[in-house]
Amino acid sequence: MTLILQAVLLAGLIGITIAIIFGKDLMVSVVIYCAFSFLTMLLYNIMGAPDVAFTEAVIGVISTVFFIIILRSIDRKTK
Amino acid sequence: MRKTITVILLIVAVIMPFLAFDILPVIGDPQSAPNTHVSDYYIEHAIEECNSPNMVTAVIVDYRAFDTMFETTVMFLAGLSVVIILANRPKKRIPAHSSLKRVRHSGGRPVFETVNKDVMISVIEPLILIYAIYVLFHGEVSLGGGFQAGALIGMTYLLDVMVVKRDKPIFNLSKTKAAAIAGFGPLIYALTGIVTILGGGLYLEYNKIPLSVHQAELHSIGITAVEIGVTIGVAGTIITILSALMERTSFDDDND
Repeated sequence: MTLILQAVLLAGLIGITIAIIFGKDLMVSVVIYCAFSFLTMLLYNIMGAPDVAFTEAVIGVISTVFFIIILRSIDRKTK
Repeated sequence: MRKTITVILLIVAVIMPFLAFDILPVIGDPQSAPNTHVSDYYIEHAIEECNSPNMVTAVIVDYRAFDTMFETTVMFLAGLSVVIILANRPKKRIPAHSSLKRVRHSGGRPVFETVNKDVMISVIEPLILIYAIYVLFHGEVSLGGGFQAGALIGMTYLLDVMVVKRDKPIFNLSKTKAAAIAGFGPLIYALTGIVTILGGGLYLEYNKIPLSVHQAELHSIGITAVEIGVTIGVAGTIITILSALMERTSFDDDND
């Protein structure tokens, strides 16, 4: 059961990464990156490291806000 | 030519880890190298030596206290380097229509433009702060500790900056002030080590703190002091990076 869950989460991570790389809108990429850190948090939880998962959850939110602040001062669309 | 080299290097860099998978031990394998010497020692001696119910805390801030100290310092340096990199960039110009968008005080409430923001400031922020303090002082027993508490405090400041009008946040910390505060974190950590030396022990040997209480209490005091240092360091670093970013970004354009 844990193995299946891990496999699903890892597949989700790969899918999210591809979506981030090929996204045209940087804002969408940043929001999906937040989902990436959420899935990573779930993975850490399954692997039995709840404190790392806790850190990942908080830092994921903060880094997303940092990215959004940076996005306000550069162009949103990729060429 | 350069692109070809890059692609070849990337392919090599992807293949190498896959080749290494066979050599790596299975996760949690009791016969693997780290699980045969160090882990056994920690599991057998952590409670009697460190008197800490949470073994992770015992390992991080007791057995590997020196390591954690320099981790905090590295984080402080990361915040400083962000300040240095962003130092001489000009601030983006604020568009002319920004004066039209003002905080409306219609009938006394809501205070911060919308009800959402009111709830954020008056309900969610205090909850996060209380949780941060709980995580800080309860880290010995439950999961958590300095890093998480600092990140939560930084997040409170971030919410504060986001909700209140940007030119007048409630706690206005410039990047230099925030960096100075962040520097106190590693300082507190290092001074704890010096206190233990004055008590006749090694650097960061908590049961030599010169106080006449039980050994478990000494460990608790030492770990709490160190965790407070880590908390201040992390929170200060997050606020430093945030202030450095905010100083060169204008938020008043509403076209996206």
